[in-house]
Amino acid sequence: MNRVVLGLFLRKEVRDLRSNRQLWPAYLLLPVVAVLLPVLLLAFLPMLSDPAQSGNDRVVQILIESVSNDPTIAGATISERIARLLLRDFGMFYLLVGVILASGAAALALVREKEQRTLEPILATPLHDRDLLLAKLVAAVGPALAVAWASMLAGSLAGALMGRWVIGQWILPTAGNWVAWSLLLPALVSFAALIALRASARFTDVPGASQFTGLVVVPLALIVVAVLGRPAMASPAAGIIGAAGVALLSLWLFYGNVRRFRREEILTKWR
Amino acid sequence: MIEARGLSRSFEGRLAIEGLSFLVPEGKLCALLGPNGAGKTTTVRVLLGLLPPSAGQARVAGFSLPGSAADGARLRAQAGLLTEAPGCYDRMSGRENLELFGRLYGLSEAKLRSGLEHWLRRLELWEARDQPFGTYSKGMKQRLALIRAVLHEPRVLFLDEPTSGLDPAGAREVRDLIADFRGEGRTILLCTHNLAEAETLADLVGILRRRMLAFGPPASLGAARPALEVKLAGDAETVVAGLAALPAVQECSAHGGVLHLVVAELERDTPLVVREIVRHGGQILWVRPAGSSLEEIYLRAVREESA
Repeated sequence: MNRVVLGLFLRKEVRDLRSNRQLWPAYLLLPVVAVLLPVLLLAFLPMLSDPAQSGNDRVVQILIESVSNDPTIAGATISERIARLLLRDFGMFYLLVGVILASGAAALALVREKEQRTLEPILATPLHDRDLLLAKLVAAVGPALAVAWASMLAGSLAGALMGRWVIGQWILPTAGNWVAWSLLLPALVSFAALIALRASARFTDVPGASQFTGLVVVPLALIVVAVLGRPAMASPAAGIIGAAGVALLSLWLFYGNVRRFRREEILTKWR
Repeated sequence: MIEARGLSRSFEGRLAIEGLSFLVPEGKLCALLGPNGAGKTTTVRVLLGLLPPSAGQARVAGFSLPGSAADGARLRAQAGLLTEAPGCYDRMSGRENLELFGRLYGLSEAKLRSGLEHWLRRLELWEARDQPFGTYSKGMKQRLALIRAVLHEPRVLFLDEPTSGLDPAGAREVRDLIADFRGEGRTILLCTHNLAEAETLADLVGILRRRMLAFGPPASLGAARPALEVKLAGDAETVVAGLAALPAVQECSAHGGVLHLVVAELERDTPLVVREIVRHGGQILWVRPAGSSLEEIYLRAVREESA
């Protein structure tokens, strides 16, 4: 692994991100939602847990039943239990933030180099395929993780403050949340970015790579988030096992990408 | 040194280059001429180790092709490439582009700093070094791309259409630089459409159209095939058959009223040819020796290949 190359591409991508205002909305919108949503969820909590206001709403009944029967959710009142459940499971949203941003960046990583005609000069340097792909992966995953973690910290703080204000309790992230954010999030983000990176190497135009990522890679990653995310948020052990599985899958994808990286296809099929 | 031995490369069964064999000694500049799609860029990519050859071998800067991935990386560290498009990042400044590529070539910080200042000043880009590359003029972009190609002091340089799309002044600047690079002892392979450029700069010229149609010093290419052109009033085709029967005439073709003849010896055979044309009723407007300029050699070689 060539750390100099990793640093170079990471700095280049971050500089590109800073100077390209068209990319800013994607990186700003999701964190804003990540902070606002827990605030809004808790703002409506009194309505949910008050039978006079929620009436016989079936969804609310199910929510109340599930928090009452779930031994992993502690709380003196139904409101506190619902708040803990909402904030714990909302932790999955931060996984989505990372997955969406990383796959979007990875989808452009190589195809944009082709479009700018910068890929051939890069391939003409002594850089190895493995280092190039790793650098592109790190450059896509790094900023996405930074934004996801910043959103998670801001969202958790907002949720805790809102909990204190609405129900008089500090509602802090669970152990499952921390495990999922620290282990499962990087694994999932790498997994999604690696699939998008392979698409980026094969497509010859930016819209094609972006569409494929939007229509195939992101939904696929969302399914994985949905399947692994909730158990991981509830149980640290599930989070660790899920993260290890996705990390192994990502490793396999990475070496598959290196093996299947064809300079000749990239150089000759691009016009 | 660049040496190719029977180098071929095909794409999906279609040969892009076929059986190329040539030698460019250390410190010499070889111009590769050929029409669009002749295989010039493919040749450069194969010689730089970016594409593996389908057949044949090559040796560039002491490294064999095809070779190991590690050798390929070492070869690329010894070679510089100027692609047809400058291929720099528009949002980054000229200096940042060069720093990025200099580091990818493994230059130390001290070498990078001194190299940057030296080349940016030499190519008159020092004042514009912190401007975004996207704001540069076409000539400035090409000069920056040239700096990128030589920043790591390569022994071998591959220049693919370096003056393409430049105005005459910009093209002249780039040509002067290439002449300087050759003077510094680098081995250079220059792909170009510009015959005057090749004639001015090259020690060796290769005419490529999938196969190497001709290769050698520009002077010897012309001398190797003494030829003359004869402009006739009316259709030249009528005398072709009669001339082709002459023992002195090795090749004879007609294009738009002009006869092109390859003969054994120019001074001895020209009067014979003229007499024969007149005998066949041809009305001669002018006669001139052909094959002395690179343009004529090139056009003839490409025409013959097409025929």
